[in-house]
Amino acid sequence: MSKISLFLCNCFGEIGRVIDLEFIRKKFEADPDVDSVTIVDSLCMPDDAAKAQVLTRERRIGKVLIGACSPYGKMEFVRLGLAKEGAAVRAVDLREGCAWIHGKDPEGATRKAANQIDMELALLQNRKDSKDLTLRVQQEVLVIGAGPAGLSAACGLARLGFRTHLVDRGSAPGGLLNVVKKVYPTDEPGPGKIKNLVDETGENPLIRFYGKTKISSVKGYAGDFKVKLTGPEGNTALRVGAVVLATGARILFPQGLYGYGKIKNVITQMEIERRFATGALNCKTAVFIQCVGARNAERPYCSTICCPLSLKNAMRVMDENPGARAYVLHRDIMTPGSVLEAYYRKAMQRGVQFIRFDAERPPEVRGQEQVSGVEVFDSISGVSRVIDSDLLVLSTPFVADPESAAIARMFEIPVDKYGFYEEVYPIHPVETRNDGIFICGTSRWPVSSDQAIAQGEAAAIKAASFLGKETVSALAMSRVPGGKLGHAAADAAACTGCGNCVAVCPYKACRLQRTGNRSVSRVIKVRCKACGNCVAVCPNGAMQMPEQNYRVTGEMIRRAFREVR
Amino acid sequence: MQPTEKKKRTILVVGGGVAGMSAAFDLADSGHRVHLVESGHDLGGQVAKLDKFYPTDHCAFCPLWTEIRRCKEHSCISVHTNSRVETLEKSNGSYRAVITKSTPVIDPDLCIYCGRCESACPKGVARPIWEHAYPPVYLIDGDRCGDCRTCADVCPTKAIGFDREELQAEVAVDEVIWSAGFTEVSLAPLKEYGWGTHPDILTSLEFESWKAESGENKGAILRRSNKAIPRSIAFIQCAGARDLRLLPQCSAVCCMHALKQAQWVKRRNPDIHCVILYTDLRTVGRDYYEYALRDFGGNGVRLVRGRPSLIYPLPGGDGIAVKFEDTATQKREIWKFDMVVLNGNLKPTLSSLPGDNARPELDAEGFVNRTATSCGFVMEPADVTESAIQASSAALRSILADKS
Amino acid sequence: MSVDRGNVKILVFACRWCGLIGADGAGRKRIELPASYRVIPVDCAGYVEPDAVIRAFASGATGVAVLGCHVGGCRFNDANHPALKRLELLKTLLDTTGIGGNRLLLGFGTAHESHQYADMILEFHRAMESMPSMASWLPQGQ
Repeated sequence: MSKISLFLCNCFGEIGRVIDLEFIRKKFEADPDVDSVTIVDSLCMPDDAAKAQVLTRERRIGKVLIGACSPYGKMEFVRLGLAKEGAAVRAVDLREGCAWIHGKDPEGATRKAANQIDMELALLQNRKDSKDLTLRVQQEVLVIGAGPAGLSAACGLARLGFRTHLVDRGSAPGGLLNVVKKVYPTDEPGPGKIKNLVDETGENPLIRFYGKTKISSVKGYAGDFKVKLTGPEGNTALRVGAVVLATGARILFPQGLYGYGKIKNVITQMEIERRFATGALNCKTAVFIQCVGARNAERPYCSTICCPLSLKNAMRVMDENPGARAYVLHRDIMTPGSVLEAYYRKAMQRGVQFIRFDAERPPEVRGQEQVSGVEVFDSISGVSRVIDSDLLVLSTPFVADPESAAIARMFEIPVDKYGFYEEVYPIHPVETRNDGIFICGTSRWPVSSDQAIAQGEAAAIKAASFLGKETVSALAMSRVPGGKLGHAAADAAACTGCGNCVAVCPYKACRLQRTGNRSVSRVIKVRCKACGNCVAVCPNGAMQMPEQNYRVTGEMIRRAFREVR
Repeated sequence: MQPTEKKKRTILVVGGGVAGMSAAFDLADSGHRVHLVESGHDLGGQVAKLDKFYPTDHCAFCPLWTEIRRCKEHSCISVHTNSRVETLEKSNGSYRAVITKSTPVIDPDLCIYCGRCESACPKGVARPIWEHAYPPVYLIDGDRCGDCRTCADVCPTKAIGFDREELQAEVAVDEVIWSAGFTEVSLAPLKEYGWGTHPDILTSLEFESWKAESGENKGAILRRSNKAIPRSIAFIQCAGARDLRLLPQCSAVCCMHALKQAQWVKRRNPDIHCVILYTDLRTVGRDYYEYALRDFGGNGVRLVRGRPSLIYPLPGGDGIAVKFEDTATQKREIWKFDMVVLNGNLKPTLSSLPGDNARPELDAEGFVNRTATSCGFVMEPADVTESAIQASSAALRSILADKS
Repeated sequence: MSVDRGNVKILVFACRWCGLIGADGAGRKRIELPASYRVIPVDCAGYVEPDAVIRAFASGATGVAVLGCHVGGCRFNDANHPALKRLELLKTLLDTTGIGGNRLLLGFGTAHESHQYADMILEFHRAMESMPSMASWLPQGQ
């Protein structure tokens, strides 16, 4: 068993004036596991740091223990520097965790320092290295969904040089934007907005578009997903390194609300879009009602686009029908930011009328066969009024596409209670718990086409940087600074196949595999993040984390309060 | 469109907050070189200094700490703290940038956080950096320093230098991403808000650090005037924002920010009466409306729709009056509060930088004009999630930008 | 039959995030705490198994503390969820066997600030000072 070199930092007396470093030195020089003990004044300062590095390098010291300041301070950089010399380096916090916090008890602090160093020595002597896996990352990508988000992701990936498979259940790319004649706030045509992207799917040789195609099965993990597609030309088997889910969402049909389906000229925003597309919309007074079927008990969320959408359509009604009036009945006007707030001001200046109502007292539609008016209690003025109108437009929210849940299950990512794909909170909005699977667009959460395009770009660069590595070590696939501790591994001989680990793993990294007449747990290294839950629930210790195995923990516990002489 | 843009670029990212770090990391992870320039002492920006974060209601520094460390440790990212981009010249499709670094009096590379300067300083101007900076260092408040230099004598690593010169580094970069975030704008010109007339009328960021768990009051909710427990707090939305006199934009983050602050006040002291005076309660974003719903039952924070016309300290010194119209009842009210928190006065940082700072073209409201690549609040008022998305999007666009 | 006041032994399993950041902060501020506890850092509180806690008691610990992140704030998504449940169950087991559930302190997201950590450790130390000795539970010769 190779020995350990111990470096103790005096920290210019900050540690040394409380902890008796000479006592520690003498004690551990006599320890059979220790090769040498060196006390320096300041391990993080260039001279002493260099000295430690040279010592480590020249004496080919395989194991180093540092006693210095806290891991949240400079000590971590010292540790990383020494680790570059090829040694396994651990550290004990002798400053914030010992000398400073027990400053009035030098004897107690010295005893504690001795114990903590002893414990780390036990760790270094008993730890093992996890088996790593070098993953060859498949250099192709699959994008599911060819709306603005999916198009943006596919084009971004292709421009970065990756062969991209773009799948859509419809016959052509474009998604919902295909039917939008004008997009807010610029009023550019919907298809025009994504024209470059759509053209590129045809022109860029790296993009292959599969229309009327669905996903039939998914196997594998980050870097190597085996996906089967089913389309008009039969089945296709793909092996891709990453997958971008941009499967979109549906717009709620306001069945049974405000006379929709019973009274004529009570329509949805999609329907008014279609009327604009076929020619001028003829009406004298259009009334838009916001939050229909949204921000209620059933769907307590805001669908992001409906307020700006109504502003756009209200202005269009007035532009295309000189003398026409437009009313927007709302509970709050959701136009956050600079651009949208300016758009709201523009609508106000244009003459769109805004009436606020409370959720408890929604407007009522008037008319038998055709809409004739809307009665609304204006909560700002406290007066009820009837607006004569010949067109009522209902703003309904995005709802999760009915196929989202199945897709999420196939790709093993969670969905939230509304059916939208869940992301890694809080600053990885297009990434999911399953590495290699990215989400963007309205299937993630209701957003505008601009936001969907930006999310597609975000997913593209993240997928591309993963693929760009070409080979990746499973141990490096960690969001934790310093990398993964290791990989859990089950001893096949001892494993009883109980399945506790399979149930508890947050990343679905444990699987039961049949060997002969038993089931044995197998850890998918690419997915394991070393949280340790599987180790904790294993009934007989078959599952271990080699870097902090049961011998390590047991020895550390035994030494924690050993008498110090 | 020509595919295969495989040549590695060098990108300058100006601003090291959530947006800047997300962009920098995405670029570096794809093999491109990044110069990440931050004017403050450490990366993390405004969000790292917040007490809590919405909608998770957890601490803000912890997730950011991971990003900060990843940026500092990545071999492709050069982090320039205490720095600014002084000049930026474009020529032949690329840029030459001069990055000026003003190493603070206490050099963070040499400071070991021993605190001897703090003990030695007769005026108490040597103080530790904010609570959750890793690694921690000490700072000297230059404005109040008496120049006795005692600290320099006691510093064991000779980290203290009073006559430092600025260091300049010239770098050649292919693209620039602006991610300088937001700063507060003074509400003094809008006299009706009463900011500056009483210690208990404060902005939301002032209130955030005042009530911080890691702050001087350890999370206790106290009046700033006399440290007594307030009986009531008013949160005023759209203070300075959606106001053609000062900031025409909607600052996007304040409604959720007020809900978060008010809910935390109630958690720490359920007896404090909290009222949010709003115009539109903008809860656009994942799970935001549900977050607000917690208060609609009337058991928690009270939401009142009305924009105050006047906020003034009451004569006699006890309390602050808020005059407004409650649009639900159409009645004019004057309510008394012990504290008033003003939300909304955020502007994009680039709109008010001193002269020795390069900046891109800005639009009339101070946001980066779309001719330049930007992300986060300098582009458009945005919360953390939106900023992270825009940052990744900006990173992609900076790699693919046509160089001709 | 109470523990010798100077002989309290507390073993702390603390996760590298919310678990130890408070400790670091307390140290930075030079808050004085009794030197009666030793720390075993773990990547996630999910790693802490009931067996290890019991082993700690069998090795002479007066009390054991497990510190992790807030439920919902775990870096490994919801890995601390099962950890908390399992340890709460262990507390009940400790009560049932007469060892005492109050010898196990669980701090999930409650000790991430310096003063919170300091208060928690101090309070726990004081509580352990008046606990009966574990001698009758330990193997001979310990």
